[in-house]
Amino acid sequence: MGKKQLNLNVNGKPYELYVEPDKKLVEVIREEVGLTGTKIGCNNGECGACTILLEGEPVASCMMPAFKAHGKNIVTVEGLGTAQNLHPLQKSFLAYGAVQCGFCTPGMLISAKALLDKNLNPTELDIRQSISGNLCRCTGYKKIVDAVQGAAAELRGEKEVKWPVTTEDDIVGSSVTRVDGIPKVTGESKFANDYFFPNMAYAKTLFSAHPHALIKNIDTSKAQALDGVIGVYTSKDVPGPNIVGIMPHIKDTPVLAGDKVRCYGDAVALVVAESAEIAEEALSLIDVEYEPLPGVFTVEDAIKEDAPKVHEGGNLLLHRKMYRGDVEKGFSEAAVIVEDNFKTRMNEHAYIEPEAGVALFEGGVLKVYTITQGAHYHRGEIAVNLNLPVSKVRVIQTTTGGGFGGKIDVSLQVLVALAAFKTGRPVKMAYSREESMINSTKRHPYYMHYKIGARSDGKLTAVQAEIYGDTGAYSSHGPGVLTRTAASIIGPYEVDNIKADAYCVYTNNPQAGAMRAFGSPQASIAYEALMDELAQKLGISAVEIRRINGYRKGSVIPTGQVLTDGVGFMETFEKVVEKSEFNR
Amino acid sequence: MYWENYYLPETVEEVLKHLKDSNGNARIMAGGTDLMILVKNGIVKTREIVDVCNVKELNCIKEEGSLIRVGALTTHTQLAESELLKKKVKVLAKAASKVGSPQIRNAGTIGGNVVNAHSAADTAVALTALNAKARIQGAEGELEKPVSELYVEAGKSFVDPTKEIITEFVFDVPGENEATAFMRHAKRKALALPILNLALWLKTNSDKSMIEDVRIALGPMDYKPLRALETENILKGQPLTEKTIKEAQETIVKEIKPRDSFQGGASYKIEMAKVFLARAIVEAVSDLGGKIDG
Ligand SMILES: Cc1cc2nc3c(=O)[nH]c(=O)nc-3n(C[C@H](O)[C@H](O)[C@H](O)COP(=O)(O)OP(=O)(O)OC[C@H]3O[C@@H](n4cnc5c(N)ncnc54)[C@H](O)[C@@H]3O)c2cc1C
Ligand code: FES
Ligand code: FES
Repeated sequence: MGKKQLNLNVNGKPYELYVEPDKKLVEVIREEVGLTGTKIGCNNGECGACTILLEGEPVASCMMPAFKAHGKNIVTVEGLGTAQNLHPLQKSFLAYGAVQCGFCTPGMLISAKALLDKNLNPTELDIRQSISGNLCRCTGYKKIVDAVQGAAAELRGEKEVKWPVTTEDDIVGSSVTRVDGIPKVTGESKFANDYFFPNMAYAKTLFSAHPHALIKNIDTSKAQALDGVIGVYTSKDVPGPNIVGIMPHIKDTPVLAGDKVRCYGDAVALVVAESAEIAEEALSLIDVEYEPLPGVFTVEDAIKEDAPKVHEGGNLLLHRKMYRGDVEKGFSEAAVIVEDNFKTRMNEHAYIEPEAGVALFEGGVLKVYTITQGAHYHRGEIAVNLNLPVSKVRVIQTTTGGGFGGKIDVSLQVLVALAAFKTGRPVKMAYSREESMINSTKRHPYYMHYKIGARSDGKLTAVQAEIYGDTGAYSSHGPGVLTRTAASIIGPYEVDNIKADAYCVYTNNPQAGAMRAFGSPQASIAYEALMDELAQKLGISAVEIRRINGYRKGSVIPTGQVLTDGVGFMETFEKVVEKSEFNR
Repeated sequence: MYWENYYLPETVEEVLKHLKDSNGNARIMAGGTDLMILVKNGIVKTREIVDVCNVKELNCIKEEGSLIRVGALTTHTQLAESELLKKKVKVLAKAASKVGSPQIRNAGTIGGNVVNAHSAADTAVALTALNAKARIQGAEGELEKPVSELYVEAGKSFVDPTKEIITEFVFDVPGENEATAFMRHAKRKALALPILNLALWLKTNSDKSMIEDVRIALGPMDYKPLRALETENILKGQPLTEKTIKEAQETIVKEIKPRDSFQGGASYKIEMAKVFLARAIVEAVSDLGGKIDG
């Protein structure tokens, strides 16, 4: 397939490029033109991270062949303004705090620019519609909408955006501009997938074809033989123990699955090739012989005596007890007792930036540029599994496009390091949205049984709960998450008599891990519903019962800790009551 | 590797020549918002792409005598913003305004929406209610066919994009006592395929007291936008009263057979169809300056 001439005008500058006819526009902008401010979040037209202006109109550059833009004008985030001379939108995004991880920001800015180019007096609805094709997972949209309004006002010549937000002397007690803000609005921030090195190879993971199966044989010969393939690696090629896990005492996740797969997210083989396309093709040439095993997909099934075992030690990973006082006594003092079963489902973090990393040797040190929420942990796992001293491994956290707990665990870090270790080449790995969904950790789905008693005056007397958290195929933070649930078994309400049994259970589902608030939100689904029910039965308001029982200075929490300082619950609660106009 | 060659012709003639020369190995791309995904997922394989985005003659919205002509390459943004459509053919402007997101509407075209043959494709549902015809050009010449007859099965169009091209859609300009409406419900306001959409064309008598004629199209119900013919029959010739609407609602409930899907449950879709039918009639009639009697 021959390269063809492609003429583009990008940010006012003409480019004469020679590219393959099936290249996507986003690839050409990032790899050939070299402007990496335009991001890839989904490659499906769904997230807007790749938004550019084509002849003045916002389009998803991931959904376009590059040749569609032949002879046309393109504007990317780099065409808005520079660090020295920011566009009003860029200033305003910083001033209003509309930038957090910054991964959605370039696309967001471009969509906003398209709007303001046509309409300098937008309504809130106009703005919301203009950015409706851009997803932000960190900031929410309110600050973004405010920022666009702010920029519109400046462009109308009414009011300049206050910039910079702070001077050096008035930092304490005031809003400050985020330290990494400017490069995030100019597109200069480097996220992991934005690193390119000479002679760089690309790696791809072969994921399991079964949720639970024995691996009988892996034949990589056909993949090895494909032109452009540098190496194909399986568990045998991992020099170290081939195991990782965030809990130091429960390392249970293979880097590359050897004799058994336990979920679809298990990596079975790793291909390194001259291009990502070749690596992808090679994956389909790997023959894996599986012997499927019956799987367990619910906690109910997993805890049965004769359930298939996900790990040899059985499916019960942890039973955390949190007992205090005497629940029998507590319930006997109750005027009303409510009781029910609850179920919550799995959540995906869905950070807009999928997992990515680049590994290379520099002066005898293996450097790994990668997304991470735990650089030191990742460094340790890479060192151990490659049999290298930690001093020979350096993990550099690149600007990370959202994590929410989902980027603490090892995803592709050890794999990309292994690829560089084996080939001696700089190697890049970047998961697609689909691969990210398959492989990444999730919020634990919960099965809960709750029983709560209260006196006739509304004071809680006892809570008893059995909680089962589905940690999927691997532990990750499971024990920590379930322990946290046990400790906040009844959230911000004070109860003297508590009996909480929290179980962490293995299944063949995707691995669950850390996610915002770590085990607390699931429990709140149960106890908050029951608080309402108690209030109803007692004939008091939903607000009142929470006022009666809410944590204050001096309250004792389930672990026995006495709260002394900074107990903000009642204050927060009253604000919510007021702002939500709950009593209206 | 997706494809080996990429052509950017500027006239329909050149398009047809490329298709003919490639002998089935080339395929038309308009906005690419469906095709890119079909190719990526291996559902469509093609050696060559004939990108029609520069065929300017296919990008237009025109009123000619009693007809409106919409070029197949007209984007959803252009449809949604067209003053002519907003004034006279609301159903189409509104349907287009609901597609995907600004980015998708700026690239996606009405022709692609129809040829992709999805039963709830927003503009295709609107065109079905408008009784629109598609003009198709191929090596053998030109052909006009109602949009409702372009469906072979789910995802498969009568139009073969490796051989022929839809050049435009043609339908009657709604007359004095005619009005249209479009209703759509999705999980989110953007970037969400419809749980249900309903397009309506309606004609009343001159004092707006009676329905003379009506067409109702819905998706996703069938392998193609579904015409609710029984419900239409119930409405035809009836006075514009709440009783008439109620009878029509009772009929549509029996007539449609939606399926449970990721978007929503069948029983929910049926309830929504009832609601949408009433709302669409009320809206169309009130646009004509009429009202529904109690
Ligand atoms: C994120 C996202 C959201 C979406 N949301 C919606 C939505 O809400 N509602 C909706 O209806 N659709 C939606 N779509 C689908 C899609 O955008 C529309 O169907 C669009 O109209 C397709 O037009 P296109 O020009 O991009 O078609 P293309 O992808 O270029 O083509 C689609 C098919 O039609 C053929 N074709 C195109 N034009 C012609 C022609 N003139 N003659 C013959 N064959 C032709 C092509 O060969 C191909 O088979 C969405 C898509 C994405 C990616
Ligand atoms: S829309 Fe293009 S990467 Fe998500
Ligand atoms: S700031 Fe929008 S996704 Fe992170």
